[in-house]
Amino acid sequence: MEELLEVLKKVKPGVDFENNSNLIDEEILDPFDIVSIVAAINEEFDIQITAKDIVPENFNSIDKMYALVEKLEEE
Amino acid sequence: MTIVSLNFLAFIAIVSLIYFIMPKKIKWIVLLLASYVYYFISSKELTGYLIITTISIYLVARGLEKVDIKQKIECEGKERQLKKQLKNKAKKKKKLLILFAVLVNVGILVFLKYCNFLSENINNLLNLVKINYELPFRTIILPLGISYYTLQAISYVVDVYRGKCKAEKNIFKVALFLSFFPQMLEGPIGRFEELSHQLCKPHEFEYNRVKFGIQLMLWGFFKKMVIADRAGLYVNEVFNNYSQYSGIIIVVAVILYTIQIYADFSGCIDIVRGTSQIFGINLAENFKRPFFSKNIQEFWRRWHITLGAWLREYIFYPISFSKACMNLTVKSKKIFKGYIGNLIPAAFSLFFVWFVNGIWHGASWKYIFYGLYYYILTMIGMLFEPVFKIIINKLKINVNSFSYRLWQMIRTTIIVLGGMLIFRASRLKVAWEIFKSIFTFENIGKLFNGDLFRIGITSGDFIIVVIGVVIMFVVSLLQEKGINIREKISRQNVIFRWILYYGIIFTIIIFGIYGPGYDASSFIYGQF
Repeated sequence: MEELLEVLKKVKPGVDFENNSNLIDEEILDPFDIVSIVAAINEEFDIQITAKDIVPENFNSIDKMYALVEKLEEE
Repeated sequence: MTIVSLNFLAFIAIVSLIYFIMPKKIKWIVLLLASYVYYFISSKELTGYLIITTISIYLVARGLEKVDIKQKIECEGKERQLKKQLKNKAKKKKKLLILFAVLVNVGILVFLKYCNFLSENINNLLNLVKINYELPFRTIILPLGISYYTLQAISYVVDVYRGKCKAEKNIFKVALFLSFFPQMLEGPIGRFEELSHQLCKPHEFEYNRVKFGIQLMLWGFFKKMVIADRAGLYVNEVFNNYSQYSGIIIVVAVILYTIQIYADFSGCIDIVRGTSQIFGINLAENFKRPFFSKNIQEFWRRWHITLGAWLREYIFYPISFSKACMNLTVKSKKIFKGYIGNLIPAAFSLFFVWFVNGIWHGASWKYIFYGLYYYILTMIGMLFEPVFKIIINKLKINVNSFSYRLWQMIRTTIIVLGGMLIFRASRLKVAWEIFKSIFTFENIGKLFNGDLFRIGITSGDFIIVVIGVVIMFVVSLLQEKGINIREKISRQNVIFRWILYYGIIFTIIIFGIYGPGYDASSFIYGQF
């Protein structure tokens, strides 16, 4: 989780990733942020997040993103 | 049968009557039959294209589901490596199926809508290299709503591929999703998982819901017939005879065209959403007060929302997450680092988004340029964002102040006006000619000497348009503050309510602009 938080803060500094669980619904992250975050996560965790994983439920909070990373790592 | 006609109102009355008296089980069949009757009246033998699209996406979605089921069965109890191999094999099959669905449906659209545009450009190219051969042109007759239902069809199969929705087992339910009659003309572009269950669920007559639906329709008729069609009289005169006008006359024409297209398109969507609400179906919102936007990106999140969402889901994300774009992201970050490193992949993906946005509107270079106009301005905005931030900090500008918000809204509106000029001009070259002719200030006096009222519309018409725009603005302002106007009205006493209803009805009847046969003129976005 710490590793993911570091990645997120690097891509989008100034966002309260620890506490906010409506990052997409409240439009804190826009489509460009999502693309940058996915590119950074793919590189850092050596996984392949694709367009089919891009649903608000997967990116609304750091917990959801971490769950997605774990799921893809298992696959 | 345009949706602003007495025939359409009679059609809704008959269909809703049958819908509400029919047993629950077959209510959705009433909607399907009504939709196909409506479609056949509008498109006759071209209905065949809609049927081909329906069958193709039904079969592909079912195929995708079968591949998934087969893969799951084969994977049971297998080792991880073998599972991965089987998954990749299934993925390849699914990709082929998607490719087939996209080729068939985009192919029909290209063949019907873009063939002459392609022929013209290929012929120009052949001429340039002095090859004496000309591709033929054909008469273009488009099936109703093809640009809209094709996008819905693609979204359905891609959503099944992505696992976002399940493949529908009943082909007639897929047919209803694609053909639901209110939205055939101008959308909104619906998504299967949001729309299908609403279409197929039986809805009983509910007084408040039907009342709200009719109110929304009335509001749409008001915007379309009183504001849009009246403003259109001036706009048509100026744009059809652009060489005779310049300066302030053109500026007023561009402003009126922007008002016209907004009142026309959002008015149509209100009628469509109101009609659907009568049947208990909530269609997606397509407009959220776009002229309150502080930048172009926000404008496009509030204007033609369902098209923007479609482009984001099915163009922007797939391209952004393609291997080529991901490699570009990694490389550009290594070379440029920081802000520019993030910007390059966004620029790559956004190019396709705006190109498709432009060409979707029509087979012409002016529409492609219209898309690229927004692309270039978006990229300039993104490129200089850090510079703007520094300037704002240095000048200590309060970005939350009313004056700064107002400046942002005016700036966005001016950019939108530029886009509308391109959109309305008959050709790209004409748009440029019209743009150049704005910069003469000799006729500014025409604003005050009454000349303006001799161009297509009278001073009385101008006053009606201005009052209409003020009403639209007040309504938008209240909605922006989160006030539900229809609910507020329903809480007023009965005398006030009925005075208001009759007021709107008589305003539409008296001040509405009518075309031949007492039908309002056709919708601007209906031609796409």
